[in-house]
Amino acid sequence: MKTLLVLGVLAITGLAADQATLDRGKKEEGRVCLPCHSLRLVHSQRLSKATWNKELDKMAGWGAKYQDRDALLEYLVANFGDDKPPSPLAMSLDGSSAK
Amino acid sequence: MHSTRRDLLATLFSAAAAGKLAHAQDEPVTIPGKRPMIVHNDRPEDLETPVRYFDSWVTPNDAFFVRQHIPRPAPIDRESYRLTINGMVSKPLQLRLEELRNLTQYTIPATIECTGNGRGFYTPKVPGIQWLRGAIGNAEWRGPRVSDVLKMASADASAAYIETDGADVGLASTPDFVRSIPMSKAMHPATILALSMNGQSPDIHGFPVRLIVPGWDGTSSVKWVIRISVAAQPNNGFFMNPGYRYPKYGLTPGTPAKPSELEVIEGMPVKSSITSPEDQSKTTLGSIPIRGFAWAGEQTIERVEVSTDGGSRWRDAELSNPKLPFAWRLFHLDWRPGDPGYYTILSRATDSAGRVQPFVAAWNPSGYLYNAVDRVGVTVERPA
Repeated sequence: MKTLLVLGVLAITGLAADQATLDRGKKEEGRVCLPCHSLRLVHSQRLSKATWNKELDKMAGWGAKYQDRDALLEYLVANFGDDKPPSPLAMSLDGSSAK
Repeated sequence: MHSTRRDLLATLFSAAAAGKLAHAQDEPVTIPGKRPMIVHNDRPEDLETPVRYFDSWVTPNDAFFVRQHIPRPAPIDRESYRLTINGMVSKPLQLRLEELRNLTQYTIPATIECTGNGRGFYTPKVPGIQWLRGAIGNAEWRGPRVSDVLKMASADASAAYIETDGADVGLASTPDFVRSIPMSKAMHPATILALSMNGQSPDIHGFPVRLIVPGWDGTSSVKWVIRISVAAQPNNGFFMNPGYRYPKYGLTPGTPAKPSELEVIEGMPVKSSITSPEDQSKTTLGSIPIRGFAWAGEQTIERVEVSTDGGSRWRDAELSNPKLPFAWRLFHLDWRPGDPGYYTILSRATDSAGRVQPFVAAWNPSGYLYNAVDRVGVTVERPA
């Protein structure tokens, strides 16, 4: 019983730590990516961890300054990994008469 | 305890803030001058044309796809605009828009296709905009020849390249968008500086001057041109190297190319795409038009075959005229299926150089030049 309780607590803290990392990753995404482009560019892609990692390197070369790179990578893989279903297509509203 | 609670509150707060941010990201956007488009990115704009708009030889400006590597430049004033011609020239020039308009104007119908059009069909997935069929359009571009401008500047005949820069500049350390083409292509009579697109201002497509490099990948056709430099060597910035290069030799899918085995992309391959019926749509028994477009870079389209049974039998589709290099032809086949059910429709184009669309497009790490035989699935139902 005691063992089960310990395991249960470990499981919960383990999950909480994971979720905290993902939350930090999401925050990092907004901070680092948004200054240059919308997040649609990120969220419409489905890439492996190795490919996301290379993308982060490429963006660092283009001026991205990470504070929490590992969390960002975890967040990208968890949400936009190549095992995830494709992103639904987003449509813009009709702007044909606007200038 | 107090500390844990504070951490928990902080976590909840940041999650809420991030959620709000993400929500703002998902809100629909309106792009001035554009009908509803598939939005891959709205800042800067990467907009794909839904296939249902491809029902005319000329793609209307308000339906034409947009690819921006870096944000649009600040609005350009017609009066203060100058086009710099420099480098290996004996008469460097600063041309006004009016001077470009006073040169002989040529109309060039040309299809522009993003080098990465169809990237979303590659497996394994590659980074970049996940374009499907619609990062392509056909327009009538009009303006002076690049060769006439180079003659005005008395360009050195031994120079091998021109380098073209647009008014857009990269954010942070993003590289500037600069492209080179060989002098032979620059001097081609169809290579122009477009001042108009389908008789209108090019607007988001490169106002006031867009280089048009017919038959080549879209990235060659630099927007917002402000400088052309005549040079002995090609520019070696990111968008020439390693950007927009294609492996010389077939790669095992998912593996990188050796940088020394990458080549600059020039003319585009042969390709057809089905625009109607739409993939995974439903239709009713009767006459069902199968429509699409085909183009082949610097070649002309000679034939498009269509199969409605997954590639067992093929029939020739009717092709629209004119038959031109650089511009697509529309194809059409009236199909009258005898039975209801699910059908797999394919299209396959052949060009004047004898190139035939392959069944499988060669995987490459940047997802360029996707041109596999197109395929859509359609469910045909009995009329209600």
